[in-house]
Amino acid sequence: MKKKVICAMSGGVDSSVAAALLKKGGPAPEQVRYGVNFEVMGVFMKFWSESKEKGNRCCGEDSERRARQVAKILKIPFYVFNFEKEFKKRVVDYFLGESKAGLTPNPCVVCNKEIKFGLLLEKALALGADYVATGHYALKREIKNKKGPYGESLKATAKIKNYELLKSKDKKKDQSYFLWRLSQDQLKHILFPIGDYNKTQVRNLAKKFKLPVTDFKESQEICFIKTNIQDFLKRRLKSMKGPVIEQTNKGVEKIISRHDGLWFYTIGQRKGLGLAGGPYYVLDKDIKKNALMITKNGKDLFKKELKVKNVNWISGNTHRLPFKIRIKTRSQQALSGAVIAKKLPRGRYKIVFSKGERAVAPGQSAVFYSGRKLVGGGVIC
Amino acid sequence: MSKNKIYLDYASTTPVDKRVLKAMLPYFSEKFGNTMSLHSWGQEAKEALEESRDVVAHLIGAKAEEIIFTSSATESNNLTLKGIAFAAKKGHIIISQIEHPCVLEAALWLEKRGFEITRLAPDKYGLIDPQEVKKAIKEETILVSIIHANNEIGTIEPIEEIGKICKEKGVYFHTDASQNFGKMKIDINKMNIDLLTASSHKMYGPKGAALLFVRSGTKIEPILHGGGHEFGLRSSTINLPAIIGFAEASRICKKEMKKEAKKLVVLRDKLIKSVLSEIPGAHLNGHPKLRLPNNANFWFEFIEGESLVIQLDLCSIAASTGSACSSATLEPSHVLSAIGLKPQEAHGSLRLSLGRWTKEKEIGYVLRVLPKIVEKLRKISPFKIK
Repeated sequence: MKKKVICAMSGGVDSSVAAALLKKGGPAPEQVRYGVNFEVMGVFMKFWSESKEKGNRCCGEDSERRARQVAKILKIPFYVFNFEKEFKKRVVDYFLGESKAGLTPNPCVVCNKEIKFGLLLEKALALGADYVATGHYALKREIKNKKGPYGESLKATAKIKNYELLKSKDKKKDQSYFLWRLSQDQLKHILFPIGDYNKTQVRNLAKKFKLPVTDFKESQEICFIKTNIQDFLKRRLKSMKGPVIEQTNKGVEKIISRHDGLWFYTIGQRKGLGLAGGPYYVLDKDIKKNALMITKNGKDLFKKELKVKNVNWISGNTHRLPFKIRIKTRSQQALSGAVIAKKLPRGRYKIVFSKGERAVAPGQSAVFYSGRKLVGGGVIC
Repeated sequence: MSKNKIYLDYASTTPVDKRVLKAMLPYFSEKFGNTMSLHSWGQEAKEALEESRDVVAHLIGAKAEEIIFTSSATESNNLTLKGIAFAAKKGHIIISQIEHPCVLEAALWLEKRGFEITRLAPDKYGLIDPQEVKKAIKEETILVSIIHANNEIGTIEPIEEIGKICKEKGVYFHTDASQNFGKMKIDINKMNIDLLTASSHKMYGPKGAALLFVRSGTKIEPILHGGGHEFGLRSSTINLPAIIGFAEASRICKKEMKKEAKKLVVLRDKLIKSVLSEIPGAHLNGHPKLRLPNNANFWFEFIEGESLVIQLDLCSIAASTGSACSSATLEPSHVLSAIGLKPQEAHGSLRLSLGRWTKEKEIGYVLRVLPKIVEKLRKISPFKIK
């Protein structure tokens, strides 16, 4: 019997090609029989957005129109799910809460966990689907564990299926960073059809499948914000004035200005501080004193170690420590060498960098890689 | 309609009857005149418009000059609430909690501008108690607006009793009859209705035509100003083809409504009876007897209505969870909430609305498919993300 797959479609080239690959099969080896094996249904998700205006917003009416058009060409059923309310509650309110607390949150990670592979997956399975597919640049690999959770070898028949999360073929486009919170339960039901291709190949596939995808703006940094984060926070949060403190030498501090709220700044930030006599960098946020710590010395931004909380291991099991990994502390940051040194109380972990890491911001995701494999991640504290 | 597809969503909109389409066709390219023009094209159009007015007026016992053609029921309802409110300048308006969103939203808009709004709660069948209306009316009350037959659950309200009370109290009484106009007999005099909304596309006419009956002497302001069409109450070039279609649809309904209702009641009751007896955990929404001949509305335990509608769609059956206007949101229906359903119960709702071309064998097919889908959906254990 054909497996049922629900493909999340935003109207963009990536998710449109994902749907086409599922329906018609693709060049990647495991995709050859996609079209034969799958019954595909397209779903467009409506999210909350600050602006109701027309634009390139990935869940606006223009996008819905484009997605519907693609579904029509592919001759697949198409439905719209309205997640506005839940998205506002689970993603936007989280974003505001964390920002208010002086942290640098990552709403995309939460959206993937709670909405795309949370609500949508729940709804898809309730509809009798076997999989949810998305146009993420990431890969999933099915492996059979040769060993059980206690290291015992297993008979061939008793091998446990497990899923690995890998970086996509396109290293530049790779979006695995945003997927670190997924569980085995979720991965089991997920497909990433375009993870095997790079962006150019995806564009060519779109042409091959005759999909009318125009090159509109790439997914913005934060989809629900119309302009920039600062303006959004200014509109949504009441200002909370506090001192801006310069740290000149270790231990020497002086107040040089005032700020309107710690949430307008992120660690490592240089531009837009509006201070004369710079350049200055945001060094830290002192939440208790509501103080913004800045420095002229860029070297002060480098940290030797960090702590993470809410750690998720993709395999479902804690890895043996110490564990040598490559780590990414921001979505745009390059990978650095590090060691997960030890477990701390309250589920926290201590991570030591091989070299200093610049601008580590509490609230951001620290994601652990081992080769192409994403092994887990945590929230920087 | 396509042969293998079963359309059971007549409450959201209906196909145009072939006879209606035939009547409309000359009015696009041959008799295309503007009703306001002096020349023969204009006169021809004006005559056709006034003849249409006679036809629809006749259906509810109104005088022709009391019929204002509009573009939609939403427009008619907005004209009623805002028009009466603007004419009175201030005052109190009574509606029910189970009105169509256009009445609810127009009332909310007026409330923000200083008008007082009372929203009456229905009983568990969706019935509004006329005594509650009586109690709510006060010195300042300028309008009572109660839906004639509910679009989601099909409950028919005691309009005649409410009308009588409004007449005694000297308050204007409006009813939104979008769902039942052309499907059951309406007598605006016997029912003491001062304003009434009806829509063409719910009764096998085209979209883009509707009406507001306004009793002579009613104090009401227009919301569209311009060339003074429709007795100064609704300026806009007349959409004659749509109005011709509306009138032809009314003519057909007048002739066939009794027979059609009889047939639909049999099919509806068969559907309701079988669903309730064959599907465990199925419940009827609305009143068992006082309901539209074509409306069946259920809620199923442990089922999400949206999933059900999608599964039915994949089986070529068109249904709806509630009204088409609210299917774009995840909010539980305000009507089902008002009749006391809990949010998870309201989410399990399914509306099947029958119509002119619904066949017995189609109902038979639905009755074969629906229990299987419900069973299948229930079997899939709810997946909670860990």
